[in-house]
Amino acid sequence: MKTKRLTELSLLTGLALIIFVVELRFPDIIPVPGVKLGLANIITVYAVYKYKAAEAFLLVLARVILGTLFASTFSALIYSLSGAAFCLAGMLLLHRIIPLCWMWLCSIIGAILHNTGQIAAAAVVMKSFAVFAYYPLLIIAGCIAGAFTGVCAQLVIKKTKEKRG
Amino acid sequence: MTKGIKICLVAVLTILVISAVMTAIMIEPKKVEAPQYVEIVQDNKILYRIDIRQEKDRTFRIEYPDGGWNDITIENSRIFVSDADCPDKTCIKSGELKNEHFPIICLPHRLVIRFSEQGERNENKTTD
Repeated sequence: MKTKRLTELSLLTGLALIIFVVELRFPDIIPVPGVKLGLANIITVYAVYKYKAAEAFLLVLARVILGTLFASTFSALIYSLSGAAFCLAGMLLLHRIIPLCWMWLCSIIGAILHNTGQIAAAAVVMKSFAVFAYYPLLIIAGCIAGAFTGVCAQLVIKKTKEKRG
Repeated sequence: MTKGIKICLVAVLTILVISAVMTAIMIEPKKVEAPQYVEIVQDNKILYRIDIRQEKDRTFRIEYPDGGWNDITIENSRIFVSDADCPDKTCIKSGELKNEHFPIICLPHRLVIRFSEQGERNENKTTD
């Protein structure tokens, strides 16, 4: 990996972490476990389209682990990891089919997959299917949040393209 | 618009509509009266099964074996988590248990508080 590439990825990780920490301060919109805006995923979506699969994977892994450390919610690590893994796998596959101008759609599917991974992990950890009651609600929230982060990432890519000419 | 996008778009819309319909159905409590029994489950083990209508008002603490606790309060036949030492406090913000579809869940402490069908059934329970 070239040094420049590494620096760019580190900066993006830092950026994602800043967004993540700021978002921790936001009050919960609805008191349902797992519902979040997930603004840090703007960086994830951006990285999926801008970088190679392995690079995006490393970025997300670093972000999730460091984010858990910052938020000091170690019990949440397994949910975040599982959600991120599902989300990333889906988006990395889909970004081959979905072009740049439909990025938000890729992001929405990523969000749905993220919630699927999260809730599957929660069901395994709690040894109970009770959590699946919240699945439809999580999907709706995920679609809204995913569309928002997707549009943001799309704007970022558009702007950087304009800048570079 | 390529075929791939169309498939994705239709898939997302279908999932969204199904979820919306399911949420709309689930969010409306079916039964006129809330079920009588409440189960407090941790790690898939039923710790308590309470007859909520006969229980006296009280607050008790459930300790999580790996550290941590939830204070559960029963008041006027209603049950809610009044305090907990988890970082997210989602279980407290969920408020009282109202709906048989949406249990109170504390993810960090693997705690589920839900209505239970156990016990005598009421005739009008099945009408919805």
